[in-house]
Amino acid sequence: MFKKLIAESTGKSPWLFHINAGSCNGCDIELVSVLTPRYDAERLGFKLTGSPRHADIVVVTGPVTEQSLNRVLRSIEQVPDPKCIVTMGSCPQSGNVFRGSYSVAGPLSKYVHVDVDVAGCTPKPEAVIDGLYLATQILAQKRKEMKK
Amino acid sequence: MDAVLNALRYLGYVLIFPGFLFCFMTGLLLAGIDRKLVARMQKRVGPPILQPFYDFFKLCGKKTIVPAAANKTVFLLAPLLGLAALVVLQLFIPVFRIQLHLGGASRDVADVIVILYLLLIPAVSIILGGASTGSPYAGVGLSREMVTVLACELPLVLVLLGVGRYVGRDTAGGICFSLNQIVDYQMESGSLITKASLIPAAIAFLLVIPGETGNHPFDAAEAETEICEGMLAEYSGAPLGVFKLSHAIKMLTMTSLFVMLFFGGVGAGVEHLVALMGLTGGAAAAVVTILDILVMVLLCIVVTAVGISLVHAVTARLKIEQIFKYYWTVVSALALLSLVLVWYGL
Repeated sequence: MFKKLIAESTGKSPWLFHINAGSCNGCDIELVSVLTPRYDAERLGFKLTGSPRHADIVVVTGPVTEQSLNRVLRSIEQVPDPKCIVTMGSCPQSGNVFRGSYSVAGPLSKYVHVDVDVAGCTPKPEAVIDGLYLATQILAQKRKEMKK
Repeated sequence: MDAVLNALRYLGYVLIFPGFLFCFMTGLLLAGIDRKLVARMQKRVGPPILQPFYDFFKLCGKKTIVPAAANKTVFLLAPLLGLAALVVLQLFIPVFRIQLHLGGASRDVADVIVILYLLLIPAVSIILGGASTGSPYAGVGLSREMVTVLACELPLVLVLLGVGRYVGRDTAGGICFSLNQIVDYQMESGSLITKASLIPAAIAFLLVIPGETGNHPFDAAEAETEICEGMLAEYSGAPLGVFKLSHAIKMLTMTSLFVMLFFGGVGAGVEHLVALMGLTGGAAAAVVTILDILVMVLLCIVVTAVGISLVHAVTARLKIEQIFKYYWTVVSALALLSLVLVWYGL
């Protein structure tokens, strides 16, 4: 019964950890707007945590600069399994307008497995919620595979 | 035979009724209602009421990372210590007149002093756990937690002295420290919240509740936006879940203590109601027991709504020195006012 409860709950309580990998702050503000009364992602159980060790979903914004690369990867490693990595905005996905710059090490998918990409500059809050909801389903799936 | 039955009964107390299962269910329910109410007050839809249950079980299913620098034994045992202290504490808070047969001395096993001591242990356990990780965030968090605990202690003691003196004056004389006598007194002469001289004390206690539980606006020790949730920064998986559970149970402990100290007279109403229904003997006792528990949980929810949710929704986080100053001036002054009024016979 205990295992069943865990399986039931894994997708319903996704805690977010937000990493800014050299973002212009546009996506960061948009992520916070998802938690405001208008969009209220907390009704799906989303909560912003302060420490990567509490998180289930890591949201990465920004084009992953040379300066931030090492720190991003180390933060992601500190998230306990099962975890999900979501990139927000076009920057971590493709480099966006910063593509080819000497200081950009991205895209993020070169270094870690990315589960969900939310494209846009910046993505609409609806798109962000949609992407995060997809991530919760992947999370529940990962928990199932972890047990096997 | 009796010894076995007694052992079973004790086990039932610890694991089921005022103990673990009851605390687990009611505590997490209170936490869920609190989150929902705050959301509604901010014009949000809010998470489902069962959200804390989901959070707890999800955390049980996560991997636990023990930091390399941490003392593993302390790191893993500290959450259990805090939880155990809270479950034991709940045993000593009476539910109106429900009897727990704790050996020979049935009702006065522990008084307010023991409760004051036990209330400190969860805070100590979280400080121990945080300190064992060696994280600088935990260091900042635990120094703030210690200040918060100290700040809350003075008004709490003053409130308990005021209440004890009021009840003691009318019964045995001196100061009454037995919670059961306080509840008995209220069932005979009305809830203490209705006594004019104790209203400031009730307000002071209501303000102590969010400080003791570490809720907004007194959560500088666990500020997630500035110091990564302080002492919990290095915790993950099941131990983190146990800390979250302890936090929820502490809400139940503090609110039920408030209910018993100031709304104890409601229990008399329940007994009258059952008497009016014409029940007698064993059936009446059973109905009174069930109704008492229900009424207590309901009152706890009301106290949570006023004392924790409303305060959370309308305030922003205070700085640590503001918390200390607030408790030692405003709240302590309210409690002291009550104490002085009671001492001069009002």
